[in-house]
Amino acid sequence: MSVECVPEVPPLSRQVTQEGIRRYAEASGDYNPIHIDEEYARTTPFGGTIAHGMLVLAYLSEMMAAAFGLDWLAGGRLKVRFRAPARPGDTLTARAEPRRARQRDGQARQVNGERVFEYGIECSNQRGEALISGTAEVVVGRLR
Amino acid sequence: MCNHGTLVVTPANPPNLADLPRGYELPAARFRLSADDVRRYLEAVEDCSDAYGPGPEGPAWVPPLAMAALALRAILEQVELPAGALHAGQEVEFRHPVPVGASLHARARVAQRSEMRGAVVSVMEFEVDEEGSSGPAVVGRATVIASRGEAPS
Repeated sequence: MSVECVPEVPPLSRQVTQEGIRRYAEASGDYNPIHIDEEYARTTPFGGTIAHGMLVLAYLSEMMAAAFGLDWLAGGRLKVRFRAPARPGDTLTARAEPRRARQRDGQARQVNGERVFEYGIECSNQRGEALISGTAEVVVGRLR
Repeated sequence: MCNHGTLVVTPANPPNLADLPRGYELPAARFRLSADDVRRYLEAVEDCSDAYGPGPEGPAWVPPLAMAALALRAILEQVELPAGALHAGQEVEFRHPVPVGASLHARARVAQRSEMRGAVVSVMEFEVDEEGSSGPAVVGRATVIASRGEAPS
């Protein structure tokens, strides 16, 4: 049986800006005022605007897409909790760590004859607070 | 008009997400992501990876999370979201790449509904099909927490 080690995934950093949040609202059609109306957002428990959860999740997906290309588009899985909001001015870092405990000797798992790489993923802010955490899996070789 | 149990839905009377019972199926939504839509999305999320391949007018493939985000948006446009509704969790699985410009079809249903300390936790299961394809391109579950009784934003 061939053995394939779970590759490291390079981290990715992004700056959150109100302009970026506005651009995402236009691209996604999500104009919830908590994201784009600063006056309204000040009256909420958040005290100000926050980024869309799916915008922050996009950073994690981009990190995985950059590492796995078409394999991510054909066999990527994300399972996350949104733990805290990202705010304009935050610097976010997306990271993926191979799940060693589930992958003996750092090798890919075999599921139904397919190789699956598993990662714990997190997107944190400049204070090290986890804003999103969860897992990512990618089935490799599905398109070959 | 869609009649689901005691809940009558018309375009002028969208149901509040917090009121939707478990098993409720939202009307399907159709959408398409053009080369311009994909470019706008990639600029918004600052995604400059080359994972989506070169196509004649930009990327060849739709970023899969864009499909999930746009599908959720198309689906949730059909309900009222209570003010302060929070997206608490997300699961999403990408099953096959979708070319830019493909016709997409999104369906969703309320998979779980529970109440906790005055808040309603709804889990929406959704899938996105590419027209002419045999299986879904994207499947997922979104967890939304909404306070009961607040006016929509």
